[in-house]
Amino acid sequence: MSDKFTKSMARNIFIGGSLFFFLLFVGLTFDTMGSLPKRDHRENITPQVANGKMLWEENNCIGCHTLLGEGAYFAPELGNVYTRFGQNKEVIKAFIASRPVEGIPGRRSMPQFNLDDQQLDDLAEFLKWTSEIDTNNWPPNVQG
Amino acid sequence: MKYESQGVAKLYFIAALALFTAQIIFGLIMAFQYVVGDFLFPEIPFNVARMVHTNTLIVWLLFGFMGAAYYLVPEESERELHSPMLAKLLFWVFLVAAGLTVAGYLLVPYSTLAELTMNDLLPTMGREFLEQPTITKLGIVVVALGFLFNIGMTILSGRKTVINIVLLTGLLGLAVFFLFSFYNPANLVLDKYWWWWTVHLWVEGVWELILGSILAFVLIKTTGVDREVIEKWLYIIIAMALITGIIGTGHHYYWIGTPEYWQLLGSVFSALEPIPFFMMTVFAFNMVNQRRKDHPNKAAVLWALGCAVMAFLGAGVWGFLHTLAPVNYYTHGTQITAAHGHMAFYGAYAMIVLAMISYSMPFMTHGKPANSNKAQVVEMWGFWLMTISIVFITLFLTGAGILQVWLQRMGDNPQSFMSAQDSVAVFYWLRFAAGWFFLGGLVVYLYSFFVGGEPQEESA
Amino acid sequence: MSETNLTQNQNREEYPPGDLVIWIFIYAELLVFGVLFLAYAFSRSNNLELFNESQKLVNQEAGALNTLILITSSYFVVRAVAAIREGRAEQCGHWLLATMITGSGFIVVKLYEFSEKFGAGISLSTNTFFTYYLSMTAFHFMHVVLGLIILAAVWFKNRRGGYSQEDHMGVETGASYWHMVDLVWIILFPLVYVIR
Repeated sequence: MSDKFTKSMARNIFIGGSLFFFLLFVGLTFDTMGSLPKRDHRENITPQVANGKMLWEENNCIGCHTLLGEGAYFAPELGNVYTRFGQNKEVIKAFIASRPVEGIPGRRSMPQFNLDDQQLDDLAEFLKWTSEIDTNNWPPNVQG
Repeated sequence: MKYESQGVAKLYFIAALALFTAQIIFGLIMAFQYVVGDFLFPEIPFNVARMVHTNTLIVWLLFGFMGAAYYLVPEESERELHSPMLAKLLFWVFLVAAGLTVAGYLLVPYSTLAELTMNDLLPTMGREFLEQPTITKLGIVVVALGFLFNIGMTILSGRKTVINIVLLTGLLGLAVFFLFSFYNPANLVLDKYWWWWTVHLWVEGVWELILGSILAFVLIKTTGVDREVIEKWLYIIIAMALITGIIGTGHHYYWIGTPEYWQLLGSVFSALEPIPFFMMTVFAFNMVNQRRKDHPNKAAVLWALGCAVMAFLGAGVWGFLHTLAPVNYYTHGTQITAAHGHMAFYGAYAMIVLAMISYSMPFMTHGKPANSNKAQVVEMWGFWLMTISIVFITLFLTGAGILQVWLQRMGDNPQSFMSAQDSVAVFYWLRFAAGWFFLGGLVVYLYSFFVGGEPQEESA
Repeated sequence: MSETNLTQNQNREEYPPGDLVIWIFIYAELLVFGVLFLAYAFSRSNNLELFNESQKLVNQEAGALNTLILITSSYFVVRAVAAIREGRAEQCGHWLLATMITGSGFIVVKLYEFSEKFGAGISLSTNTFFTYYLSMTAFHFMHVVLGLIILAAVWFKNRRGGYSQEDHMGVETGASYWHMVDLVWIILFPLVYVIR
């Protein structure tokens, strides 16, 4: 490599380039923040939905499931589970409540989390709200 | 070892390798749960095993980065570490915090852990990779600040080289972007948007700076190539990494509620993300070919070259495979993602830490530049076993992913998730087998530290 | 005499001009734009009607004006390089200044165009065409700004006597970047504003 390749120029491109693209990223973030309210329907985030999200987190649901495609890939996608279960909260609640404590021999099974009816309802509300986010038509079909 | 205080790195590396072993054992447990679903149920359900698997990975890489910094910075700065005591103290704080956290995962239900650590005061738990209790996260921040202070003071009052400045920048970025993990709004879309500021800007941003500087250090030391040349390469590689990687975050913003234009921006920039990794491969081989000396530590050179190649394959090629929005529409959240994740993390980050360990450990154990020939041969067996195993794990997961996408996401009669999982089970069995080979490789690798024999001197 | 001429000629024909690093950067940038252009062509062929309809809302006159402005400024920067190669630093400074003034003209016209679009309620999320139109022109716009900053830095260094007949790599580096900005626009303009 010749003298025509100077270290100070390389450094300037590193600093300038990163700064340039970081600023661009910040700009795009502003635009995104502006357009999110129309897509996430945040006006529908009731205390119930918020509590449902907390329950989702405190039981580490993401450790097996994906939510909008992110998480573990061990259990079904739940971003659209409300749709998949016939837009019926009761079906979701009944499924979670009925998981056997000792599991199913030889098969994957969701643990029994011992949630009360109010908690089940909050969780279902959260999943219902999540299914209404504008995700650019993802997942490709109802199976998630 | 030119400075006595470099020796603190040894503690960090031992902890890193212990946690690495734990990570692999839990990986095997999960791999078995993929085919025999009730294995260890309900004592260690899959989600707990996964938390341990991913969290020990993150923590052992952090231990590795810190150890690498403690070894590298005094040598680059040409002075002793600002405070070796602080380095030792922080080591024990971090180790105890990590140990307690993992014990918490394993001993009590996660919701109990959340209650015990008062997650409701500042809820940050229960998000992928950031499952640690809030108090552990605060502990990480404290350790990171103390560490940065120690390293920063050493660099600022010593010789400033491109390598230690880039390393410091990367470590600072690591600490800064971790702060986003404390932001957890009730709005899932916002939560996910900012969650990536930690996760993506770590692994496809500032961590690449750390990777680049450690690689550059090992190459300078083992090849004797002019520092000037290596430093120019380093700048160009990390410039390309950030130029493509920052807007490349967009490839996570396709389907989480964020605007459609991210599909265009994310696709364009992440299509270019393989470039810095490709440059890194060219760089590493070029430097080794132009070497001015034959360093006796052949194993360290092998790790460095292996890291460059596997990072390119795992992060570059496997990343590119599913990064374009029209492809990702079908592959998002499938085993394809898992395939990419395994090879990328092993290739880029596990291997760079192992390269640094391989280079520095001989100095720290017996003061000579290289282990005995016999020990190196064993170490290289470990290298090949682990590396080939990860290639097969990746290939099997890719096979599983392709079949999963085909069965579950395409066609007129898509199968349900669980029936698609049953159909791809053969790939999971193969992956499980490859996992055992990986563990075997790890055992061989760990054994290489105990082979002994006459250490090798620098060849004239 | 003949010997100095010879070395000068060698200097002149050295390729690529400027710092080699800037060329790595330039090729990377061209690659980004190249991929964007390809993606544009691909999306356009899938949404021909939408693209043709939306294109009618784009201000072609402003685009054409800006093309002229950028070509002119590129000519000025060529003169600046020619001047410093003959050791005339002062002239070089004048030509650099002319480059920056015309470049700023581009900024003004472009800002007018953007405000027109935003005023009409058009944003990145309006439709696929405008996602492309806005992200490509805004991305290019930021390059013009960066180019101007680079030229200003070169101009300052030149004013302090930092460049000479023998050593003027910085001027060539800045000029190379500016030509890249120009080149991208020359492709972008017909592609996005004109071709139907």
